[in-house]
Amino acid sequence: MRSLAAIFVLVTMLPLPLRAAKVELPTWEEAAESESYYLGGGLWPKALIPDEAAAARDPGAANDVASADPAPGVAPDGTILPTAPGAITPDPEAPGAPRFYGPQGPADGTAAPPGTRPAVIENPDGTFILPQEIVEEEAYEPLPPIEGELSDLYFAHAPVDFLIDPQRLLTEQKSNDIKRFLEFHSDESDFRIFVMALGETQKIPDDIDIEALHKKWFSDSPTVLMLYYREQPQLTQLVFNESVHGSLPKSVFDRILQNTLREGGVTELAPDQVEKMAIELSIQLYWLSKLMEYENKEEQARAAKSGIHEMIASPDAPELLREYAPGIFIEDTSKILSLVFTLVIVVGGLALMGLIGWGILAWRGRENVSGQPLLFPEFQISPRLGGEFSGGGFVGMSFELSEGT
Amino acid sequence: MKCPKCQRPVDHEAESCYSCGYSEVEAAAICGGNVVLLNRIHDAAHCLRKQERDDLALTLDQLELKFPQMLFCVYLGTLPPHLSISELGFWLLNHGQVKGAEYARPNENAILVLMDMNTKQIGISLGYFAESLITEEDAYRALMMARPNLVNSEYGEGLERVFLRLGKTLDRKGRQLRKLTREQFHAGLSGNNGPVLDLPHPFAPPLTGERATMEESLKSA
Ligand SMILES: [Zn+2]
Repeated sequence: MRSLAAIFVLVTMLPLPLRAAKVELPTWEEAAESESYYLGGGLWPKALIPDEAAAARDPGAANDVASADPAPGVAPDGTILPTAPGAITPDPEAPGAPRFYGPQGPADGTAAPPGTRPAVIENPDGTFILPQEIVEEEAYEPLPPIEGELSDLYFAHAPVDFLIDPQRLLTEQKSNDIKRFLEFHSDESDFRIFVMALGETQKIPDDIDIEALHKKWFSDSPTVLMLYYREQPQLTQLVFNESVHGSLPKSVFDRILQNTLREGGVTELAPDQVEKMAIELSIQLYWLSKLMEYENKEEQARAAKSGIHEMIASPDAPELLREYAPGIFIEDTSKILSLVFTLVIVVGGLALMGLIGWGILAWRGRENVSGQPLLFPEFQISPRLGGEFSGGGFVGMSFELSEGT
Repeated sequence: MKCPKCQRPVDHEAESCYSCGYSEVEAAAICGGNVVLLNRIHDAAHCLRKQERDDLALTLDQLELKFPQMLFCVYLGTLPPHLSISELGFWLLNHGQVKGAEYARPNENAILVLMDMNTKQIGISLGYFAESLITEEDAYRALMMARPNLVNSEYGEGLERVFLRLGKTLDRKGRQLRKLTREQFHAGLSGNNGPVLDLPHPFAPPLTGERATMEESLKSA
């Protein structure tokens, strides 16, 4: 993928006249012609070789460059030898010399003093060592502290959306996915989930009591508020209703948080982290709601020790989670049974249809003439009634409607 | 076997009917001693439409391909009151010559389906060889298959049904015979007294001495 991107960059960097002259897609050369390759391995099309490009641009000067002596630092087999930076990259000031990786210099090709771009080094196994600066970490713009207007956006009013992200910290597409998931979840679960996305460096203002806010906003129905800090899933906090929190041992909530954090930790990008954590939280909340159904404290405690995947599932397991936690559906015997029953009916129906079809074909086949020619053994039969070919063998029938036969 | 005229039983090899004295001589006296040329589908009653005729011809083509020895033909006519279709069948098979079937398909291999539009009768006349392959019961079943069509004046389709059904009968008979001949062949090999058949082909004609047993087995089958 990366090499494809590199090719794309390279092509776009080729001087316009050259590109206009070569509209058709580059064709990969045969390995036999690899002597003209500078990068080795037969990986690059000829037109993309720096000196070839120069040759194409200036055919008169090309011959001595392109075909004669190999470039310095290139082994006879075409492999690039690790050399000092700048040794194998063509002189950027040479006319038409395209640049390989890295940020593009000024379009006129004048800037970029020699030695500023480190060399691309090809390993013997054909992989490339890219200069460090190319794989640049995407750094976020520093975020302002949450205060004033921004604080109001977060905390002034009870949220309408299940995803509270006034700073657009998550990508739009993923945000929509997450919102939809949370909506579906709220339809099927006893607990609603609200996700509040904060910047990695941001803090909830001191004057905001998030638990009090939770009580203010969500006291009417069980709700979990998930505070997520961008790309810092380990900082995630879950806020439950006080009543819920008080009815079960702390270990239960620790476990929910633990599992949720673990899911967030398996991926790097903020939107993915939020999505994974929301799904896991949804699963955990199903487990939580099951736990709360136990009236006996002992049973509850025992059940609390079992994991989500060991617990007995029930017919009301949220469909939403079927994809993510199939385990909670497995023991749902009534559904399984009805599924099996449906399957039997369907298969039986198909078999019956097939049988009928086969029967019809067979019945029609009775009146079909097919197969290899059939020869009868011949034998003489003595004639009768003086007939040379027939003795009058005959079977007749009337087809008058009034007659029986 | 029955007499074509009086329908009473007739011995095989009988020169004439013991009951009514009917024989080929009388048939020739009534219908003529000459040879007549027949179309494979001879529609003297003009009761088949072009399409029906073509479809029927196609069916007969298929049957001829499947049974290269057999002759399949049809005579549809309006017969005079004193002539029954069984008599006409007897006479046609002994005096008729079906176009195109001259040498490959002799009349003794013929299956002739006759229809008299006057009396609304349909019948199947068989040559000697065909008679040995198709029992009266088989033939009757074939006719019965077509009865609904015939009653509805769908003559083309009715005739097709008769022939297709007879084709099935022949097919079955052919397989029976093949098995039978093979068994006979093996019996001949194992038994030291019987002559060893040196013809490997299962359709090799049975030796003259075995003809009777062959006929017996055919009848019992
Ligand atoms: Zn008689």
